[in-house]
Amino acid sequence: MMTNYDSDAIGPPAIHELRELVRYRDLLRILVSNSIKTRYKRSSLGVVWTLLNPLLNTLVLTIAFSQIFRFEVENYAVYILSGLVFWNFFAQTTTLAMNQLIWGSNLLRRIYVPRSIFSVAVVGNGLANFFLALIPLGVVMLLLGQPFTVALIFIPLAAVLMTMFILGVTLLVSTLAVFFVDVVDIYSVVLSAVFYLTPVIYPISIVPEPVRTFMAWNPLYIMLELIRGPVYLGVFPGVAQVAAAAVISVGTLVLGWLVFTSRQEEFAYRL
Amino acid sequence: MSAAPAIQLDHVAVRYRVPHEKVATLKEYAIRLLRGQLRYHSFFALDNVSLDVRQGEVFGVIGPNGAGKSTLLKVVARVLRPTAGRVRVSGRIAPLLELGAGFDNELTGRENIYLNAAIMGFTRIQIDAFFPRIVDFSGLHDFIDGPLRTYSSGMVARLGFAVATVERPDILIVDEILGVGDAAFQAKSYDRIKQFKQEGATILLVTHNLQHIPEMCTRAMWLDHGKVMGVGNPAEIVAQYREHTIQQEEARRVQRSGEPAPISLGANLIRIQHVRLTDAAGAPTTTFATGDTLRVEMDYLTEGQVDSPVFGLAIHRADGVHVTGPNSKFGGEVFPTLEGTGTVTYTIPALPLLEGSYQFSVAAINFEDTVIYDYHDQAYPFRVINRGESVREKFGLLAFGGAWELRQSGMDSHE
Repeated sequence: MMTNYDSDAIGPPAIHELRELVRYRDLLRILVSNSIKTRYKRSSLGVVWTLLNPLLNTLVLTIAFSQIFRFEVENYAVYILSGLVFWNFFAQTTTLAMNQLIWGSNLLRRIYVPRSIFSVAVVGNGLANFFLALIPLGVVMLLLGQPFTVALIFIPLAAVLMTMFILGVTLLVSTLAVFFVDVVDIYSVVLSAVFYLTPVIYPISIVPEPVRTFMAWNPLYIMLELIRGPVYLGVFPGVAQVAAAAVISVGTLVLGWLVFTSRQEEFAYRL
Repeated sequence: MSAAPAIQLDHVAVRYRVPHEKVATLKEYAIRLLRGQLRYHSFFALDNVSLDVRQGEVFGVIGPNGAGKSTLLKVVARVLRPTAGRVRVSGRIAPLLELGAGFDNELTGRENIYLNAAIMGFTRIQIDAFFPRIVDFSGLHDFIDGPLRTYSSGMVARLGFAVATVERPDILIVDEILGVGDAAFQAKSYDRIKQFKQEGATILLVTHNLQHIPEMCTRAMWLDHGKVMGVGNPAEIVAQYREHTIQQEEARRVQRSGEPAPISLGANLIRIQHVRLTDAAGAPTTTFATGDTLRVEMDYLTEGQVDSPVFGLAIHRADGVHVTGPNSKFGGEVFPTLEGTGTVTYTIPALPLLEGSYQFSVAAINFEDTVIYDYHDQAYPFRVINRGESVREKFGLLAFGGAWELRQSGMDSHE
C-alpha cells in the first residue's frame, strides 16, 4: 500500500522497481493465475488439449523430418520434444509479453502499477506452461522406452536459468515494442529465422564443421542443451556448460532489467 | 490553514515530445535517424505548476478541455513522472477516475474484485478481509460468481466503485462527479464520499460542472494550457473563469462575423445561476438511458429588463463531437421581456443518444445573436447507459429507433 510518494526520492530505477515488484507480489500472483485460468477456460478440451497438442506436433515433425529428410536420430520424437519444450517457453513467452505490455500500457497510462509486472507475469505463466509440457514429454519417453536417469533432477535448475534468460529477452523486446509498433512484426520474422538457426528439430551434426563451431555460441542452443542433455542423453550438463549458461542468463537478465527500468517512466508518455 | 500538506507540487512540468512526422516504426526511425531528419516539437501539458493542498481540503480544478487537468491528476496519482519539478504526496491515494481498472470480462465478479484491488495496491490478506464489504456495498451477491460479461454496465460500475472506496483513503482523486448506477446507488456513493470528507480525507476534484466548485470546494484552481491562471476562493475563481470564457467566445464571434463589437456591453444582463438535468419525474440525475426523458432546467437572474432573450444549448460527446445545438429561437419561441428570476426548461422526450459520456453547454444571448449574456462551455456532464434488454441499437452515437422488416419472395426451386 502506497503511503508516501516523493518524485525526487525514488533513487535508482532498477532498485526502486524491484522493491515495487515485491510490494505488488500479490498482484503478480493474481495475474499469473488468471492467465492460466483464462487459457484453460477458453479451449473446450481444456487441459487435455494443451497436453495433446505437443504430442500431435511432435508426431507431424517426426514423420516429416525422419522420413523426408532422413537424418538418423535415435528416438527422434524425444529429441524434438525436449527441444520444443524450451523453444516454446522462449518463443511464446517473449511474443506474448510484447502484446501483453501493449495491453498493459493501456492500464499503465491510467493507474499506477509497477511497469515490469506484466512482463514478469507473462514469464511466470510461461514457466508454469513449461512444467506442464514436461508431462507429454514424459509420456513420449515412456512410449519410446527412453530411459529416465538421475540427470533429470537437473531440470529445476535448468528452468531457473532459462527463466532468467527469457525474462531478460522479454524485457528488452518489450521495451522496444512500446516505442515502435512494427517491432512485433519484425520480431516474429526474426524468431522464425532463429528457430531454423538453432538445432531444435535437427541434430547439430548435420551442420558442416565451420558453421557448427559458430553455432555452438548461439545462446539459445546453450540454453536448450540444459534440458536436452538430461532428457535425451541422460547426462548432467558439464560444469563449463552450466557456467556459460549462468553467465548468459544472468547477463541477459541484468541488461534487460537495466534497459527496461531506465526507460519505463517514458511508457506513460507514449500515447 | 494549519493542517499538514497532503499534496505538494513544486514547479512541475510535463513535456510531451511529439515528432513532426509520426515516426512510429523502427524502420522509419532508423531511416530518419541516419538521414538526420528526426525533429521534435514539444508541448507542455503542465508548465511550472506549483500547488499546496492541505489535509482535509476539497480542492477543485477547473479549465477548458486540454488545459492539463487530467495530466495534473496523473502526476499526483504517480502515473506520470513529471519532466521537471517535484511532486510529494502524503498518504494513500484512491483514484476514483479509473473505476474497475483492469477488469477482465472473462473472469467472475469475485476474481475481478481481487484483480482490481491488487492493482490498487492491496495485498491478498487485506482483500480477503474486506471482500464481504465490497460485495455488500455493490449489492451484487447473486452475480458475484458469474462472469463479468454477463453484467450490465451499471453493475460493472457499481462493482468498480465498491472496490475503489472500500477503505477510506487519505486522498481521493475524483474526475467528474457522475452518478454510478441507479438513483439508490448514486445516493449511496455520494454518502460514502461525504463520509470520507467528514473523516478528514483530502479530495482533489476535477470537474466541468462549475456549480459543484463553490458548493463543495474549500479552494479552487483554474488551469489553462498547462498554466495556473488562478488559485483561491472557489466562487471567485469560477467567476474569473466564466468571464474569461465569455470574452473568448465573443472574440471568436467577432472574428467570424467580421463585425466590430459594441457587443460585450450587455454581457451581464442575464446570469444562468443554476442548471439541473432531471428525469421524467423531475428528479435531478446525471445518468440517463437511451430513450429516457431528459430535461435541462436553467434558473436565470436578470439585471433589469431584458427584451426577448434566447436560451441555447449545445451537446458535445466527451471526445468533442458536436451532437446538436438547439436554441429557443430555432425552436420557434419568442420569449417576452424578462425581469427578475425564472426557469427555462428544454425537454428531450426520448433521448436518442447511445451509451457514452456527453456534456451540455448552456448560453443566453440576445435575439439578434450579437450579445452573449452568459455562456457555460461544456460545463454539465452526463452519462448515457444501456438499460438491459430495452437496447435496440448499438455502436456509434445515435439511436434512430428504426424498424426492421423482411419480405421473402419465395424459394428458388429447380424442380
